[in-house]
Amino acid sequence: MMEEGLADGQNIFECDDVSLELFPHGQRRLIIDRLSLTIRAGEFLTIVGSSGTGKTTLLRLLGGLVQATSGSIRFRGATVNSAPEGVVVVFQDYSNALLQWRSVARNVALGIEGKLDNAEIAKRVNEALQMVELERNADDYPWQLSGGMQQRVQLARALALKPDVMLMDEPFGALDAMTKATLQDEVLQVHARTGTSFVFITHDIEEAVYLGDRVVVLSGPPGRIHKIVPISLPRPRDQIKTRQTPGFLHLRVEIHAAVLNAEGH
Amino acid sequence: MRPSFLNIPGTLTLLAVAAAWEASVQSGAVTFEYLPAPSGIIIALVDLVSSGELAANTAHTMRSVLIGWILSIAIGSGLGLLFGLSAFARRYFLASLEVLRPLPAIAFLPVALLLFSFSLTTELIIIVYASVWPMFVNTMGGITNVSSRLHDVSLTLQLSRRRALTKVLIPAAAPAIMVGCRLCMGTALVMAIIAEMIGNPHGLGYAVVSALQAMRPERMFAYVIFVGVLAISLNACLILASRQLLSGHTREVSHHA
Amino acid sequence: MPKRRKSFGFLLSGLPALRGLLPLVLFLATWQAIDPQGSPYFPPPSTWWVSIVTLTKSGRLLPALNATLMTFVLAIAIACVLGGAAGILIGRSPIARRALGPLLEFCRGLPPPVVVPVAVLLLGYVESLKLVIVVLVVVWPILLNTASSTSALSELLLDVSRTLRLSRIATLRKIVLPAAVPAFLVGVRGAVPLAIIITLLVEMITSLPGIGSLIVISQRQFRSSEVYGLLIVAGLIGFFLNSLFIVIEGLLLSRWPPRASYAEGG
Repeated sequence: MMEEGLADGQNIFECDDVSLELFPHGQRRLIIDRLSLTIRAGEFLTIVGSSGTGKTTLLRLLGGLVQATSGSIRFRGATVNSAPEGVVVVFQDYSNALLQWRSVARNVALGIEGKLDNAEIAKRVNEALQMVELERNADDYPWQLSGGMQQRVQLARALALKPDVMLMDEPFGALDAMTKATLQDEVLQVHARTGTSFVFITHDIEEAVYLGDRVVVLSGPPGRIHKIVPISLPRPRDQIKTRQTPGFLHLRVEIHAAVLNAEGH
Repeated sequence: MRPSFLNIPGTLTLLAVAAAWEASVQSGAVTFEYLPAPSGIIIALVDLVSSGELAANTAHTMRSVLIGWILSIAIGSGLGLLFGLSAFARRYFLASLEVLRPLPAIAFLPVALLLFSFSLTTELIIIVYASVWPMFVNTMGGITNVSSRLHDVSLTLQLSRRRALTKVLIPAAAPAIMVGCRLCMGTALVMAIIAEMIGNPHGLGYAVVSALQAMRPERMFAYVIFVGVLAISLNACLILASRQLLSGHTREVSHHA
Repeated sequence: MPKRRKSFGFLLSGLPALRGLLPLVLFLATWQAIDPQGSPYFPPPSTWWVSIVTLTKSGRLLPALNATLMTFVLAIAIACVLGGAAGILIGRSPIARRALGPLLEFCRGLPPPVVVPVAVLLLGYVESLKLVIVVLVVVWPILLNTASSTSALSELLLDVSRTLRLSRIATLRKIVLPAAVPAFLVGVRGAVPLAIIITLLVEMITSLPGIGSLIVISQRQFRSSEVYGLLIVAGLIGFFLNSLFIVIEGLLLSRWPPRASYAEGG
């Protein structure tokens, strides 16, 4: 399928005709059906679609947590067999994705312990905590923090790895609107400052438009790409101003229609 | 563990262990002087069954267990209900009970023997003293843990105290109470066997010890394995029974491994 | 924001409030008052104290106490190591769980007292008999609790270890082991009273040195006030060890989120 809105640039992910079959209870279920997608370095890609369209599965495929049954996924040209270095997943269930018995700082350090020397680890933990504004909570424990703060800890843990790509699975789905808005802007700031690529799954169409450079609309089951919509809104984006521009409203309508359309299939 | 009907690895392991056991005893490779071979154990078991001795001993033990169990359930649930409902009782009496609880019931056996010598009463004292605790703790816990939301429901519906108790509180505490009954049965069996080993010369406990003293390892092992199977079966029966009785409840409250 | 539970007050709060002891104290006082002379079957509490003091002075109580406590401590320590290690290994391997399942279930359901004659038969009256029996009985709650929690380790945490590219050893050390600690401690909590009971039981049956054999000797010699006194000693041992465990558990779990801890099977 031809992709729209892809300018020339280095490709960080290349998915060619990827399919995933599962066999629960001996029956064959096709989860993803011959999906092809290219992700550009430095872009912010958001993915929307109703339940059952395989969004999470696609993310797990990109993250190397599950293997495709056919087709290929390449990260920086190399086939993805296991979790590729430079790619990290941020999960929706933040409280269970953190280690409840470790302090915030030690949680953030989890991915880099043993791989760097202590001075570097401390430095990265500090930087990551600063990026998510949790410096003062370094010695607290996850269960002492609110939902939004716990999700930020997970974010910081991913940032400490200085990844090339962050894969985020509906990370703000369980949070209230105010916290969500704050975290959206924090993520955008990280994107602007570090140039990390983002693949961001969400239910929330407005969030998809607000955050993304491109929005991928999936249909299914089985999961297929229904439409890709380029977002030409200028950056940096603003919660109040951007969301009121005619461009934003138009894109919102377009994507909403696409999602409904996809459900009809 | 997902219980598929035929646990092939499990069955194979059991058979392999039995075969290795048999082989090592027959070949004299194992150093334990009195370890009997599984074949000998099976022969002894068949003998015990056909002579009726197994049945007689089981009947004796089960009689004590059942009487003790029923008594413990009655006392334990009564106390549990009282302490569960009454904050006054908890504040002024609970600590006394908490101090009695860790007292190993087995330490009462010599006292009971002093007072009542070898008899059913002695057995029952030990059984009830030990078994009352799981029943009590689980009943009290079940009632105090009933979600406060259900209390609000009773108030909103303006249920009388009696109705609130019988229609809301007790059914809500029922899973925990059933667990208490099950643990109580397990404890009752353990204590009955202990009492029979040391105190009352009848029943399965005594049979095991007397087989030991008579140096008849096949009989002893046969009894031991039978006791294990008996305990597991009783537990399984109670689990089935509680599932039937509690068919409305979707979650089983777990208070113990 | 909930505080970390390090305060001394919390450590003690697992123990029962003392005012509830009043009924017990009243009961004992009444017993004492009613019958200061004492019948042979129901000697008043004052005589219990006297016989305990006598036992101590004659040098018989302390060695017995020592024997019982040593067995308990060693048995719990060994059972923790064996049960914890085996629990993690079995929990991590679904095949092992299925293959060993029936054997483990049998060992769990087997009433502990019957293990005693089996061990006596196979090992004879050796020094270590007591220890072996208690370990054999007490290892199961620890092993089974640890195994069940390890096997239920959330798939999510395993995904986390994969996406952070932790090595197998790192995953074991940093995620699997710490995650198993609360369930491990629940198992130990069940093992503690069991260990006390079985230690006393073995002492009573085999007359190997300890409080249990002292009680049996006193009972055979119809020294009732001694029997009651030793009963209290056994109770105090039980109470003390249980409380000690609660304190230790509180310390170990100070980093974990507080849970509604009504879960005790008695």
